[in-house]
Amino acid sequence: MNDDQMDELFARAARDYNTPGSVPREEIWSRIQAERGARRRERSTTRVWMWPSVGIAAAALLAVGVTLGRRMERSSAPDSVSVVAKAPLPVRDSTAELITQLRQETTATDRRARELASAVPANGADRTTSTRADETTALSYRLVMLKHLAGSEAMITAFRSAARQGEIDAQIAAWSKELLSTTRMLEASAASDDPMMKRLLEDLDLVLAQIKQYVTRGTNNPDDLDLIEQSIIKRGVITKLRSTIPPRNVPAGI
Amino acid sequence: MSDNPRLVDRELVHRCLAGEPQAERALYDAHVDRIYRLVYRMAGDGDLAADFTQETFIRAFDRLDQFRGDSSLATWLHTIAVSVALNGMRKVKRIRARTDNIEETPDLAARPTSFTADLKARLHSAIDALSEKLRPVFVMHDVEGYTHEEIAGTLGIPVGTSKARLFDARAKLRLALAAFAGDHIA
Repeated sequence: MNDDQMDELFARAARDYNTPGSVPREEIWSRIQAERGARRRERSTTRVWMWPSVGIAAAALLAVGVTLGRRMERSSAPDSVSVVAKAPLPVRDSTAELITQLRQETTATDRRARELASAVPANGADRTTSTRADETTALSYRLVMLKHLAGSEAMITAFRSAARQGEIDAQIAAWSKELLSTTRMLEASAASDDPMMKRLLEDLDLVLAQIKQYVTRGTNNPDDLDLIEQSIIKRGVITKLRSTIPPRNVPAGI
Repeated sequence: MSDNPRLVDRELVHRCLAGEPQAERALYDAHVDRIYRLVYRMAGDGDLAADFTQETFIRAFDRLDQFRGDSSLATWLHTIAVSVALNGMRKVKRIRARTDNIEETPDLAARPTSFTADLKARLHSAIDALSEKLRPVFVMHDVEGYTHEEIAGTLGIPVGTSKARLFDARAKLRLALAAFAGDHIA
């Protein structure tokens, strides 16, 4: 028997391979409707509970941002330099260790930001002109934004690495939650006045929300991981982040 | 309504995005049979096929705003279906691999069957054993009758790659069944 004859024989025998029965159209349609309804309800519930806390957090972040900007204007190097990373992070063997370190750095930066905020009295900065105040605010926003974007890039990279190794732990869940919360604050703030930045924040929001959902569920469903990967690639999130973050001014905590 | 399939697709998508439930149902009715058949062929199980079909349409409706019309709606839906089925089957295989240790593995050689039945059983096992790259192409082309153009569009590969994979898949099946088929036919 030659190859063609065998192929013909196999083609005939293969027609019975996993022969489908009748399509349960109505059953599947009902399930689709039910599942979509459940997912919509879940999303709307999340939205209702999210916004009050986002509002409070947005106000807090705005205060930190303005204070940082004023502080940078009044004093030079030491304080501002302290919020800039001095050296690259050492390479670690374990992804979990690296994530621990990254989160510790983030926490340290946040603490420093709070210290700066508390060190400046409420009326501490001289606002000589409105233009100067505007510039200060813009600078502060920029600083907070860069810090956040760099942190997000680090988290997404850490997540991808951890997901590949199946080592996702609670730290990533908490980290993604914090970053998602900040992203949404920034989306609702003047930081998204810039249309390009607005788009970047929206893309980041989607990816962080997917990551948060993935790690919170803890089911390690490859379908969900595939969705996240597609979102990252299709929306060019990493590329956009890297092109937005100036390489020489990566803020601390990243 | 236009006879141009692409325009029909776009109009249907537009109506779905506008929130018309009838349009969503029409989209579902137009494609569910082929999608179900394909994922059933890949899964070999009615419950899994229903799950994969359900997930395919949920994803499609969620991402309908991302449908650009570069390919036909059918190709776009098939791409989602194949991705859902392959990912789902990976998970199922992991679970089955664990249970195979405690369950008895069927012994094909021990079953007294006719040549045709035996050939089919062996062939189906050999198809199951094809790699993730080769099996969808073989199933779509030789079992379900898709063209290489349709397969290429669905899997996002060049037509030449689809042909090469079918060639490889057939060669592996010949190799797996050569001795058996040769003994009976020679």
